[in-house]
Amino acid sequence: MMSFTRIPRKTWSNWLGVAPFLAFCLAFEIVPVLLLLSGSFSDKQGAFSLGNYAKISAPIYVRSFWNSIQISAITAILGAILGLLIGYAIFRLPSPRVREALIALSDVTTNFAGAPLAFAFIVILGSNGVVTLAFEKYFALKLYPAFSIYSYSGLVLAYLYFQLPLMILLIIPAFAGLRREWWESAHNLGANTFQYWRRIALPILTPSLIAGIVLLFANAFGAYATAWTLGGSNITLATIQIAFTITGEVLHDPGAGDALAVVSLLIMGVCIAIYQFANSRARRWAR
Amino acid sequence: MAYLELQNVSKLFGAVAAVKDFNLAVEKGAFVSLLGPSGCGKTTTLRMIAGFEMPDAGALTLDGMDITSVPPNKRGTGMVFQAYALFPNMNVRDNVAFGLEVTGHPKQEIDERVREMLALVRLDDTAKRFPHQLSGGQQQRIALARALAIRPRVLLLDEPLSALDAVVRVALRGEIRRIQLELGITTVYVTHDQEEALSISDRVVVMNQGLIEQTGSPEEIYRQPQTRFVAAFIGTANQLNGVVVDRTQVRFGEILLRAPVPSGLNESSKAVVLVRPESIAIHAAAPTDAHNVLEGTIQTITFLGPITRVGVDVGGTRVVADMAASNRAAFTHTQHVWLSFPPDACQVMANQ
Amino acid sequence: MKQRPLVLQSLLVALFVAYMILPIIATYIFSIATKWDITLMPEGYTLEWYQTAFDHPYFSITLTNSFIVSIAAVLVGLLFIVPTTYWVHTRVPSAKPLLDLLMILPFGIPAVVLALALIRVYAFPPFARSPFLLISACVIFSMPFMYRPVSNSLMAIDVHTLTESALSLGANTLQILLRVIAPNILPGILSGSLLVFATVFAEFTLANLITGASFKTFPILLVEFTRRDGRIAAALSVISFTVAWLASIAILWGSGRGRKPTEEALGAR
Ligand SMILES: Nc1ncnc2c1ncn2[C@@H]1O[C@H](COP(=O)(O)OP(=O)(O)OP(=O)(O)O)[C@@H](O)[C@H]1O
Ligand SMILES: [Mg+2]
Repeated sequence: MMSFTRIPRKTWSNWLGVAPFLAFCLAFEIVPVLLLLSGSFSDKQGAFSLGNYAKISAPIYVRSFWNSIQISAITAILGAILGLLIGYAIFRLPSPRVREALIALSDVTTNFAGAPLAFAFIVILGSNGVVTLAFEKYFALKLYPAFSIYSYSGLVLAYLYFQLPLMILLIIPAFAGLRREWWESAHNLGANTFQYWRRIALPILTPSLIAGIVLLFANAFGAYATAWTLGGSNITLATIQIAFTITGEVLHDPGAGDALAVVSLLIMGVCIAIYQFANSRARRWAR
Repeated sequence: MAYLELQNVSKLFGAVAAVKDFNLAVEKGAFVSLLGPSGCGKTTTLRMIAGFEMPDAGALTLDGMDITSVPPNKRGTGMVFQAYALFPNMNVRDNVAFGLEVTGHPKQEIDERVREMLALVRLDDTAKRFPHQLSGGQQQRIALARALAIRPRVLLLDEPLSALDAVVRVALRGEIRRIQLELGITTVYVTHDQEEALSISDRVVVMNQGLIEQTGSPEEIYRQPQTRFVAAFIGTANQLNGVVVDRTQVRFGEILLRAPVPSGLNESSKAVVLVRPESIAIHAAAPTDAHNVLEGTIQTITFLGPITRVGVDVGGTRVVADMAASNRAAFTHTQHVWLSFPPDACQVMANQ
Repeated sequence: MKQRPLVLQSLLVALFVAYMILPIIATYIFSIATKWDITLMPEGYTLEWYQTAFDHPYFSITLTNSFIVSIAAVLVGLLFIVPTTYWVHTRVPSAKPLLDLLMILPFGIPAVVLALALIRVYAFPPFARSPFLLISACVIFSMPFMYRPVSNSLMAIDVHTLTESALSLGANTLQILLRVIAPNILPGILSGSLLVFATVFAEFTLANLITGASFKTFPILLVEFTRRDGRIAAALSVISFTVAWLASIAILWGSGRGRKPTEEALGAR
């Protein structure tokens, strides 16, 4: 950009144009989060205290975090591996129209999280769901009670529904970034398909893969509506515990809620930071 | 039998014939360029030699062996692509070593070879750098080193310089030729830049629409174009349309031009007389002792550095002539001038 | 490159499509089935559940409330985020990194945490538990979806060069905005608006925690019915899915050139 060719700007007054939006963000995003942070370090009288963090070391909270981390990690890794394979299958489809249609499908379905999705899974995999019945009828396989859509495994299945298409959307551009010349050079220099994937394609895809995994992790960690609709209080997740402190259904301890929220923010922040870093690595290669 | 041979090779893409009945023989150690306009099938030909495309008909032999169905990773051809073909996740050393590593050479030999190759392309000190830390020209030199590291039997280059700027392009093409001569490696070079092809090749193959128009040394291609296409594509040539009078004369409008008429052309058949601008002299007054004199009015005077190119309207036909830049002052726009050229500077061919 | 085994490839893709489509189709069928719990296919079909849903006193209230919140979020986006984005691109490029950061933050704040933080600060009337607070939360939550497409199209068209060439041709600022800039970023604005609409319309967490019973939205009603009557929940789910499909189709149709909303929202983050 050749900014010297332009009239020097009155930068100061131009910043005023951004002010209303900044004020809005301060009022409804930054300040509330900062107050949450300071609240988590205060006792009821407003003095500095680590009491809230001591409270959330109670087994129920530790377990809910552990559950959240587990389910996020499982669905992120499963989603990433399956997304990688299916994404590649879609990317290599001979027909561009089918490929476009599948990308569009992924795009729509990844936004189908929440209550309606959870209910749709109850319809197919509930104790009287179509798929449950079909398994019983055609494979003589009783899914229940070993499996239940209201349980942990059911939650994994429902989360994968929005994780998988998200990974596909993230990884297809990365496949498109693999230049044909790299495969041809490698092949020309004597490498076989396996050597090409191991030494060139996978290392180049790794940053995108990592970016995908952490984004999926964060996506699952912050989710609430799906788990709430499916499991209610059966499955205890970090987000569900935070919501409880608001709705006061189980216990009402604002301080603990603040501390839970701050720990969640910390985990999300780490994810976003890794995501940004991995993404910038991926972009540096994709010139 | 030549070292590398393509016999009646054809390649179709759907209904498009990218390469038609292609015959080429390359001697061991020779530098051959494929030259032609965009889409004429140069890349396709090169990729068939490398094994990335299967010919629909014909055969390829290398060193006496039929390689038509040998897969690319077993052919022993080293290929350099137009741009960006270095592996971005590996540093220069690993890029150059790649071909040797995947074929299981011992580490010590690989290190030795990498050093040798980097010295050859004069980039000894870049071994630890990554491709994105190199300039375009450096990247292409590393790509060359990488292709040569596997001691290929044939080196294939597909417009390796076209993504670079003019100065680097000229320097690097000299470098490529130096290395090629040093190693004595058989090379097929694809380009659409005629100057590039003429300046570094032993032989040039001019292609058009999947067919070979002419094969020959750079001098032959330039001085004796065999087809109108070659004449028009290589350099600038004036094309004077006329009718054959006898074995030494062609009628151009009212004027009889002296020119050697090849035996294939009969009397009163249509012909075209080709004359390069540098063979034409310009006179301010009618010359008395010259052959082939044309009369006309100056339309354009273009300064081209060492020479000045003058465009003259000769009875409706535009003829361009070159003169030393120092003579420029003698002529002005719309001036009436005379052009002359010797009969042996003319080439006559049929006008279909 | 060699063609992968086509069978394996097709199988993978087919399984994926089945996984994506099956729950939705099943919900559609369930919503019109008379009875569907022991047989593989429904025993009969009826529109009764829709009738019951429509007759429910809360149906039109929650639907209206959801529309109010979604449309308000879109309007705030149009009147607030789009001009700010444009302003930053043309006048204060140095503020762009700050804006980018502000637009990433919502991805890092889980909806429950955002709800908690807002409830803590705005615990006093008229804000406390008000639709106004819900709308603000929804704007924060959905603003990346508006920002990304607009910002990307502003970058793609190189506003500076366009503005300068229009100026050199004698156009005034208003003409430049209406005839040069707007047509170029309109697809981005359109897809951003629809995406904001769809996300906010389906947003359960914020609504449930911020306004809850005092201002019920459509997803809240849906979740209530998943516990009371599955067939009516199915009818409501179908309505919810249909709104999402319609918005998505409109986005795909409107943005034309193969740019997908989520891809866009995620792009260049
Ligand atoms: N994979 C392909 N599928 C279909 N058509 C192709 C394919 N590759 C090349 N062609 C067609 O074959 C013809 C020759 O292409 P080729 O790439 O060999 O040209 P080229 O001489 O290398 O041109 P350029 O100078 O532009 O690189 C062109 O008409 C091109 O469109
Ligand atoms: Mg080519």
